[in-house]
Amino acid sequence: MTSRRTDLSRLLAWYPPGWRERYGEEFVAMMEDELDSRPPTIAFRASVAWSGLRERGHGAGLAGDPGDAALQARAGSLVVLCSWTAFVLAGASYAKLTEHFARAMPMGTRSLAQLSFDVIFVLALTGAVVVATGVAVALPSFTRFLKNRGGTRLRRKAAVAVGLSVLEVALVVPFLIWAHHLSSVQRNGANVPYSVTFVGLALLAGGVLAQWTAVAVTAARHVDFARPVLRVEATFAVVLATVMAAITGATVIWWGSVGRAAPWFLQGTPEGTSVSPITLNLVLTVTLMVLATSSGLFGVQRIARSWRALTAA
Amino acid sequence: MTRTPTADGRRRPNDPPLLILTSLADGPKHGHALAKDVATFAGVVLSPGALYGALTRLEERGLIEPLESDDRRRPYRITGAGVTALAEAVTDLRRIADVGASRLKLASTALA
Repeated sequence: MTSRRTDLSRLLAWYPPGWRERYGEEFVAMMEDELDSRPPTIAFRASVAWSGLRERGHGAGLAGDPGDAALQARAGSLVVLCSWTAFVLAGASYAKLTEHFARAMPMGTRSLAQLSFDVIFVLALTGAVVVATGVAVALPSFTRFLKNRGGTRLRRKAAVAVGLSVLEVALVVPFLIWAHHLSSVQRNGANVPYSVTFVGLALLAGGVLAQWTAVAVTAARHVDFARPVLRVEATFAVVLATVMAAITGATVIWWGSVGRAAPWFLQGTPEGTSVSPITLNLVLTVTLMVLATSSGLFGVQRIARSWRALTAA
Repeated sequence: MTRTPTADGRRRPNDPPLLILTSLADGPKHGHALAKDVATFAGVVLSPGALYGALTRLEERGLIEPLESDDRRRPYRITGAGVTALAEAVTDLRRIADVGASRLKLASTALA
């Protein structure tokens, strides 16, 4: 194999394994023909990478099919569900960053920040209820799927998810006992081993959430949903995306309000110090929220395109 | 996927699956030959990723099928279902084109 072919073959890594096995060789041959003797440009590589990711999305049931309203609505709903998973991680980070914020704010400056915080809490609860209801609505179809031996498709992913969940619980219990013996200052960064363990557990929790989402996506991909169920799930997905957008907006309002009245709280510096309200943690948290919301709205766009055909059927 | 601009700078509308089915209606072709043919008759440059994405979907729907080949370049041909789908799409497009031409009072030769 020439080095050029090897170079182009590396681009196949963007594609899912099944696709590579079926189309890989002929795809590399086509790229060779297209490029002739020219080297692949960055734009060419990016185009192949994007197509490969789309193919992965399609394989995971996230890409939909413009010609099939049911597939399109299901893909849109799954995109929203995955976005919600990322959003929950951002939400967990926000919850940690906002601990005891009201106490740090001078009297008379709390109302807007407290109001946005309360709105976020209610919206987050609404989102959780919507997801739980969506799962409940999908349960009969999922049970039928399991009865038809569909569970074999899920076994491996579900086993990993269960294993990670058990590990998380086994580690969190001693961690909480440890936390109980530390002071507030130690828990908030003064004790380095505690902080490192906290970050590790948070990452593991993210992994658990992501793995269960992968199980849900795999299941939803193979379960045969009736149109009415699909319509309900798609409606829930739209509500969930709206909740994400509203929480993101309320978070920005909270940030602005706290940043103006008590920037020292955001920076963790002594009360009254003049510091910037922009912190890396909050920037990363809000960025993740914005990305997840954008991705959720992309899913809603898919649902909107399929809605007329879905409701007409 | 790159769309070749027309003389007045507008971009041609395109639909990779439709363009591929149209190309294969003329006989089996492999990826590169398909891309060249589409560029010739539609002025649309399909990137390898876009072309193979569309080929994958068309094969999944049974509208095209691969042919045996000793070469790495595997040719594809349109199936009976593909011919039906293409005929329906072309009829739809013709209906729209006819309405457009009639409302613009274009002579049939002006469209050719």
